[in-house]
Amino acid sequence: MSQIQLVNRLWIILIGLTLFSAFMAEQPSQGLGSISIMALVLAIKGRIIVDYFMELKTANRLLRTLMQVYFYVIPAMIIAAYLFPEQIAQWATLK
Amino acid sequence: MQLAESQAPVFAPKKTSKSGYIPGNLAIWAAILAEMSEFAVMFVVYFLAKVHNPEIFADGPLHLNTLAGTINTLVMLTSSFFVIRAVIAMRADKPVVSARWLWGAAISGGIYLVVKYYEYRWNTAHGITVETDLFYAVYYYVTFNHFLHVGWGSAAIVWVIYRINAGAYSSTDHEGLINIAVYWHMIDLAWITIFPLLYVIR
Repeated sequence: MSQIQLVNRLWIILIGLTLFSAFMAEQPSQGLGSISIMALVLAIKGRIIVDYFMELKTANRLLRTLMQVYFYVIPAMIIAAYLFPEQIAQWATLK
Repeated sequence: MQLAESQAPVFAPKKTSKSGYIPGNLAIWAAILAEMSEFAVMFVVYFLAKVHNPEIFADGPLHLNTLAGTINTLVMLTSSFFVIRAVIAMRADKPVVSARWLWGAAISGGIYLVVKYYEYRWNTAHGITVETDLFYAVYYYVTFNHFLHVGWGSAAIVWVIYRINAGAYSSTDHEGLINIAVYWHMIDLAWITIFPLLYVIR
């Protein structure tokens, strides 16, 4: 597959994932399952842009890692904020 | 970190050594990492505000204009796609085609700004302001900051188009184009994070 074909397909995937997120936003209730899926969608979108649009897939390892870490930490925070909001609030409260 | 010019992609990125090449120059990556850190601080503020105020953060996204947020996400992703197509075209020694793709990206940036402007007006008409509650304060702080990035990023793309038209870049020498390309993708990355946090997840 040429690079043009690859980025064309990835663009379609990104559009599809965004429309899926919009559909999820309109759902009346959100549970752990849907929150986890939305976190995963963010992780996938971030990875695609970092690796294939920024072209970091085969680039400097430190640079790629720094950019990728974002899309592990924020999805993890989304799930953590859903599962343990009170504990996080407690840890983040000055006494 | 090493700047290995010989490892830089000529037509497409290829497997390189462990350290690897750096797209663009180190200065733009210092800026990108600084900006990503700035957005990270805003996201930390979002999460802390959310866990302390779960009710208003569960209710807030319900009153935002999801359609505007979705359109802008599609526009940002498409603009990023245009930018990578511009880079590919330049590597294939097609500067005119590259400039056309960049016009697509710059116009997308303009569309984003117009949609965001109407979204803010829609908010005001529906009684949503920065002082409504903490969720909307975070929403306005984060999205307006991003709005500014799209504004100057679009202007930078227009500058690169001017440089292409002036014959400043070639298939093997177009660092300025790569710099704005990776910077624009960073702006896109910030938005694809903002979208679920503020518009989707309750």
